[in-house]
Amino acid sequence: MTLSILIFLPIAFMILVALLPSSLNHTFKYITLAVSIVQLIIAGFMYTHFNHSLPGVFNEQTFQFVEKHSWINLNLGTLGKLQIQYFLGVDGISIGLLILSAFVMAIAALASWEIKTNEKGYFCLFLLLNAAIMGVFSALDFFLFYIFYELMLLPLYFLIGIWGGARREYASIKFFLYTLLGSVFMLLVIIGLYFSVKDPVTGAHTFDMLSMMNPANYVQGSVFDIHSSTLLFGVSPRLLAFAVLFIAFAIKVPIVPLHTWLPDAHVEAPTPISIILAGVLLKIGGYGIIRICMGIFPDGAIYFSWVIGLIGVVSIIYGAMSALAASDLKRLIAYSSVSHMGFVLLGIASLTVEGISGAMFQMISHGVLSSMLFFLVGVIYNRVHDRDIANFRGLYSQMPTYSVFVFIAFFASLGLPGFSAFIAEAFSLIGAFNSNSIPRWMAVVGAVGILLGAAYFLWTLQRMFFGKTRFKGGEEWQSQLSDVNTREIIALSPMAVVALVLGIMPFLFFDMSNSAMVELVNSTLKSGSLHLETLSKLLN
Amino acid sequence: MTITQSLFYFLAFVAIFSSLLVVTAKNPIHSVLYLILTFFTLTGEYILLNAQFIGIVNIIVYAGAIMVLFLFVIMLLNLNVESEPQKTNLMKFIGIITGGIGLVVLTAALKSTDPSNTVVIQEVDMGLVKNLGQVLFKEFLLPFEIVSILFLSAMVGAVLLARKETK
Amino acid sequence: MSSIIIIAITAIVVLYLGLYKVKSALLPVSVLGLLGAAASLVCVWDKNISYFNDMLVFNNYAIAFSILLIATTILIFLLSGNYFEKISSNVAEYYTILLFALSGGVVMVSFQNMSMLFIGIEILSVSMYIMAGIKKTDSASNEAALKYFLMGSFATGILLFGIALIYGATGSFNLVQIAGKASEQPLLFYAGVIFMLIAMTFKVGVAPFHFWTPDVYQGAPTLVSSFMSTVVKTAGFAAFLRLFGSAFTSVPAIWTVTLVVMVVLTLLIGNITAAFQQNVKRMLAYSSISHAGYMLIAILLLGQASPNAILIYSVAYSIASVASFGVMVAVKEQKGSDDLSAFNGLGRTNPVLAFVMTVALCSLGGIPLTAGFFGKFYIFGVAIAANYTWLIAIAVLMAAVGIYYYFKVIIAMYLRESENSESIQLSLAYKFVLIFCIMITILLGIAPALITNIL
Repeated sequence: MTLSILIFLPIAFMILVALLPSSLNHTFKYITLAVSIVQLIIAGFMYTHFNHSLPGVFNEQTFQFVEKHSWINLNLGTLGKLQIQYFLGVDGISIGLLILSAFVMAIAALASWEIKTNEKGYFCLFLLLNAAIMGVFSALDFFLFYIFYELMLLPLYFLIGIWGGARREYASIKFFLYTLLGSVFMLLVIIGLYFSVKDPVTGAHTFDMLSMMNPANYVQGSVFDIHSSTLLFGVSPRLLAFAVLFIAFAIKVPIVPLHTWLPDAHVEAPTPISIILAGVLLKIGGYGIIRICMGIFPDGAIYFSWVIGLIGVVSIIYGAMSALAASDLKRLIAYSSVSHMGFVLLGIASLTVEGISGAMFQMISHGVLSSMLFFLVGVIYNRVHDRDIANFRGLYSQMPTYSVFVFIAFFASLGLPGFSAFIAEAFSLIGAFNSNSIPRWMAVVGAVGILLGAAYFLWTLQRMFFGKTRFKGGEEWQSQLSDVNTREIIALSPMAVVALVLGIMPFLFFDMSNSAMVELVNSTLKSGSLHLETLSKLLN
Repeated sequence: MTITQSLFYFLAFVAIFSSLLVVTAKNPIHSVLYLILTFFTLTGEYILLNAQFIGIVNIIVYAGAIMVLFLFVIMLLNLNVESEPQKTNLMKFIGIITGGIGLVVLTAALKSTDPSNTVVIQEVDMGLVKNLGQVLFKEFLLPFEIVSILFLSAMVGAVLLARKETK
Repeated sequence: MSSIIIIAITAIVVLYLGLYKVKSALLPVSVLGLLGAAASLVCVWDKNISYFNDMLVFNNYAIAFSILLIATTILIFLLSGNYFEKISSNVAEYYTILLFALSGGVVMVSFQNMSMLFIGIEILSVSMYIMAGIKKTDSASNEAALKYFLMGSFATGILLFGIALIYGATGSFNLVQIAGKASEQPLLFYAGVIFMLIAMTFKVGVAPFHFWTPDVYQGAPTLVSSFMSTVVKTAGFAAFLRLFGSAFTSVPAIWTVTLVVMVVLTLLIGNITAAFQQNVKRMLAYSSISHAGYMLIAILLLGQASPNAILIYSVAYSIASVASFGVMVAVKEQKGSDDLSAFNGLGRTNPVLAFVMTVALCSLGGIPLTAGFFGKFYIFGVAIAANYTWLIAIAVLMAAVGIYYYFKVIIAMYLRESENSESIQLSLAYKFVLIFCIMITILLGIAPALITNIL
């Protein structure tokens, strides 16, 4: 029941908010915050009750907090029965992200204080988004996953489109179309998988992800059967499906060159939505690649590892370069996200336990740090409605506490030892160095990316915070730029603490995910290479 | 060649020839007149098949009532060569191609059909009013009745569209 | 059968009520009659009765589609409120003609003999020609009616020609007997099949026979357009599938290629043209062409799953269309236009209307948790199982284009500012229909099993 509560709590309160009269506008934010805090408590409960020794990943028995109910049964005539389940569960891959989501959503709720127009609609959509995010990370039925995945899109679209900045319409439709294009093709793969896989128990076709991961469940001669030699557009259908799914998720990550929606969406989105976008949404891409692409198509993961690694490296470098060139602070952070998420891809491509653990850890760490960065941008933007780097100088003497938080966030993000990002990037790079599937030079180039990261963060610090205080808005800005208030400190402190704690005690996370990672990597390498052998035999 | 056969070929020739003239005639009134001729030849064919009822109906309804309506419409519209919209050559070309393809398909279909021995009608009285009535009121009673809905709807509609609004 | 009689009698009663100027009774009597007709259909569920030498066979397929047609008509009637009164004083006649059209639709979904198919199509079409032109002073409406009439008659001619050829090849009008004798005169039969295919695709508005659709939908009064895009289309597809599914199954090779080309053309033309429209009504007209393309896929695949696929799709599509046309009527009444700009700021001035429109458009676009998603999902699923992967790739791409243009309306409603901030007042029945449609759309999106296992 725990996961269902986590998902449906926000929906219940969404209905409540929708029914309350608009005169109670000011209470909505408290309701939303309360929901997030309850979710955080539930997540904490799950963390303490999580059994670290159970790997999960492929075996339903080793998943925890499992809920499985029949949801939709359609009779397809000669094609058998369509069976969709309400199937939730967590393992070492998803638990960390689930807790991260609860945390980020709470921060975003705190940041939502800045929303002043049409609160009712905003908080309804916010709560709906919250539910969808929780659902995505806990769904184990592919169809259910898809529903939550799509359900996440709509509120985000409206949240950016209605409460966003000047070019919000453009940014929201761009974001929407990019993601939609990926997800409609994902739907095709889902349907194909559905017709290829049978539930070993009931014998009906199923959307159960775990059944899809077991090659024994594939129907002889079906599209995605390992032993089938049919080609689709001249390629093996399994490899094609991997590529399609990978692109669908990679749009979310985002990868270069499919990243162009991200800077626009971030720049136009209101602060809390930027926080959610960077903190949670990008992680869904990484999560999907690890859980779904690798889990279901291990052959594709091996076959394409070189390409994935290359995309990761290009993203790291390109993101960092663009961040160097950015003049808008929010855009700079958005590009730094592209760069940081590149490490996730690099770690995944390495197909080593270190690499993938590093990738997972990078997602958690980046989730916390980017939320913090976007929150910090929101602080000055709220005060003077400007965030051009060139328009600020010597902020340190104007806003000392704020600047301390900025220093922490920047140094943590650029990979200073002692903070979470250092561990994450180090593990990803170690994985890349030790990997058999990608060449060493990728790891080296990735390491250069860290240098570039240091460059743009330090340069920004120097430009904005040091030197003599001078603002574009002059006296007026000086009076508006007050230091952070209590609410902001309450929101910022936990993020700083988490970044630090995870940096010093990374085992808090690794303990939880390790058995899952070992299981995932071993099995991917084993069954993936087996499938590839079968494939090359079939084609010759 | 029996007398029936020679009559058939004569009527068929006139039918095709006059229907070609319907299309090619410049003057719309001439077109209508050729159309009436076509209907008459078809009636002749029906009678050759001993389908008397349909032959008579064809004369009364088509050659009679409908053609008069046609003439009225043409008269009222005052159609002549100048006011007729000219088709471009491209349109004509496309039309010829499409029509030609249709013709080829149909000819092929008809050509491959086994020549049946219908020239010798097996049930000679099939087309007589009596037999027709029996089929219509036994086997096809339901369509016959349901058609009344169609006519009623059309009548209501015609009145509705033709009547002046009293507002 | 009794349902056809009830509908016809209701129509005549309504005509007389109009004669005696009992205006307030028109709507209740029509709705009551329709409910009676639906009830009489429910009573014969699973009975599989055939009437008059197999002219009509009311199997579950026919009953399910008839009920859908009747339900859609009831919803449209409830929306009509005083809509027709604004056009002219002869309101009773409009109800009568729509009821007659509906009876034609019921004949179309239950026919077993091609003579009935022809009569059913004619009743429906002739009624629609009239309804398209009821705005006598509006030249767009006149143009729509004339265009529809001329092109429709031409298609009817082709249909008759096809029926005649098939009769020539098999010596029968009965679907079962036709299927049994399909191979006796193959070429004549094929030619007949192709002619009937052309006629049927014309009636449901499939490219390349779609040219009448946008003009007619736009020119006709909006409620009539909604009737055309729901009842007429559903009846057309149900008849199409019934005809091809029972009579022409033995020769799929001859018509599938043609149909595949039509599907691709329809999807491309419908969606891409719709994406460029600035008028919402015209956009919905083009989108209805594209929906015909999706439904055509189910006919193309012709299997046990096809009836269900068409039914689910039609239900989802009809309900969402009624809701979206309903909102459009309301907006047009206030703003005097159904351009995209008329929808600007609707989210702020009329949150309920905007929400209804959003859900309806999401359903039309196929966003999950709405009925429309399952309609598409089902059809795509069947197509993938039949190895039409490339066709579905195009269909999916076009579905994405579809979402793009549906979202243009949503953008206008929520992201743009309106000039005036008056809210639109709606009658109770109007609100009921809109909310009802939305509830059904969402309900079927969450629990599609309610209707999917009927057939």
